[in-house]
Amino acid sequence: MTPPPQPHAGLRRAGMGVLHLVLVVFALSQLFPLLWVFLYSLQRSGDLFGNAMLSLPHDPQWVNYTRAWTDGEMVRYGLNSLIVVAASTIASTFLAFCMGYAIARMRWRFKRLVVGAITMGMVVPIHATLLPNFIWYNLFGLVDTRIGLIIPYVAFTLSFNTLIYVGHFQNLPVALEEAALLDGASWPRILWTVIAPLARPATVIVAVMTTLTNWNEFIMANTYLSSDELRTLPFSIIRFEGQFSSEYAVQFACMVIVALPAVALYLFFSKHIMAGATAGAVKE
Amino acid sequence: MADPSRSRATVAFLVLPGLAVLAFSLVVPLCVSVYFSFTDSEGFGEYKTVGFENYVAILTDDPVFWRSLRNVVVLIVATIFVQNPIAFVLAAILSRMSARLSRILRTIYFVPAVLSLVVVAKLWADVFNPTFGILNKTLHAIGLDGLAMSWLSDPRTALPAVIWIILWQGFGWAVFFYYAGLMTVPRDLEEAARVDGASTFQTYTRVIIPYMFPVISTVIVIDVISSMKQMELIYLTTNGAPGQLTQFLGVYLYQKAFVAGEYGYGNAISVLFVIISVGLTLVVQRVMRGRLR
Repeated sequence: MTPPPQPHAGLRRAGMGVLHLVLVVFALSQLFPLLWVFLYSLQRSGDLFGNAMLSLPHDPQWVNYTRAWTDGEMVRYGLNSLIVVAASTIASTFLAFCMGYAIARMRWRFKRLVVGAITMGMVVPIHATLLPNFIWYNLFGLVDTRIGLIIPYVAFTLSFNTLIYVGHFQNLPVALEEAALLDGASWPRILWTVIAPLARPATVIVAVMTTLTNWNEFIMANTYLSSDELRTLPFSIIRFEGQFSSEYAVQFACMVIVALPAVALYLFFSKHIMAGATAGAVKE
Repeated sequence: MADPSRSRATVAFLVLPGLAVLAFSLVVPLCVSVYFSFTDSEGFGEYKTVGFENYVAILTDDPVFWRSLRNVVVLIVATIFVQNPIAFVLAAILSRMSARLSRILRTIYFVPAVLSLVVVAKLWADVFNPTFGILNKTLHAIGLDGLAMSWLSDPRTALPAVIWIILWQGFGWAVFFYYAGLMTVPRDLEEAARVDGASTFQTYTRVIIPYMFPVISTVIVIDVISSMKQMELIYLTTNGAPGQLTQFLGVYLYQKAFVAGEYGYGNAISVLFVIISVGLTLVVQRVMRGRLR
């Protein structure tokens, strides 16, 4: 929409220019630290202490990245992350789909109680469960195992995911399921062949958000896992604190490698996430 | 034919597995916490019940606990009165830009929110680093050597620096919610105000912001919940130092439990932490709802 020409058109244009500037400056402030980390990751570790602020390295040290890859145990930690994240994302998405459907579409007793419990799950801080869970999981031999990390990863993403599905299902027309029911289809069949395809937009958001959350998760892994063989990717950065603490540039390279998959996944799905989450946010 | 949407077997099949996971990792641990909070357990060996001793000690004789709570309040206030207004203004400007530009910028603003907390913590610890950090280098370069300091360990700047990191990572979400909210404001509402001779500023303060109050109150509730949950960024940068000045409940609890090994005391803090989180959320929600009517 273009506003009608006004006597103050020049002033208006200047105003718009200022507004654009504000937006761009803010964008830079959000990206600048990342850019800085990237540039430093290509320096020699000793050069960081010089006076230069943001110089492009004349002689980019890509070797920092190969060193980050090997000294940071990227392959082992990365595989651990992949296993734990894949398992917890699949489980959490599936369980949230089922619960979300039952809450949005079916009538049953104790529903309010269950919804209350799910809402509680959004409010209770993970940190308050670390100690009791450590004690409790220990009884089952779950401390320092993959499954002992996957279970809480599912639990702490389930509430948010279920509520996303509930919101989505409440906006779907019921006619399709009724038709399928009249045809004599069974419930599992209807859920899988009729409902699941319709829930696709919600599933994309849920799966991507769960993957990002658990890919980045640190404190539960730090608490429940003690053996190095099971640790996840964020620990490759932590490794550099101890034995390679003077290798700043390599640590920076390590940070870039850890951040990249998450940023790439986000950029790839950002349109879906923005659209879907907007629908959710607005309804509230 | 029985109403299939009431079939008990189907509901059980859909709900029980998820509920079991929640019970196993959320409900039972809280009960475990309550149980141990009445003991003097140190993680191993014998322990005895001590009644409300731990709670009394925390509430009457633990300045660090109260300091942690105060810092959470400071963070909530900073989020609501510093981050949110900036985010709102940015969202308002974005809502007047072309859809394409606004999408690109919103995507950029959100990038910090998808980074691992470990990356964010290390990144800012390095920016604030007194020897090679970009912040001090900039200050030296522009001749403000007097302002250069060790940001995360100086008592004067440690808490603001930590809070800044948290606000920085949260901007994307705040802009996102406010932008979504602004998109719901009907065009004719704005137009009517304009016709009545309202300036742009007045249109926002008298028409748009009141219209958006439900969105604003939702964001504030989310701010409170997420401020309570801050822990990793502090743990990985200052770990509560210097002198407990940047202590937060999650970090303090972690140190008591896993460093000092005080399981009884740590569990009592956990229980209080949950009660405060749930209580504060309910209160804020009620206050916001009340203002809506």
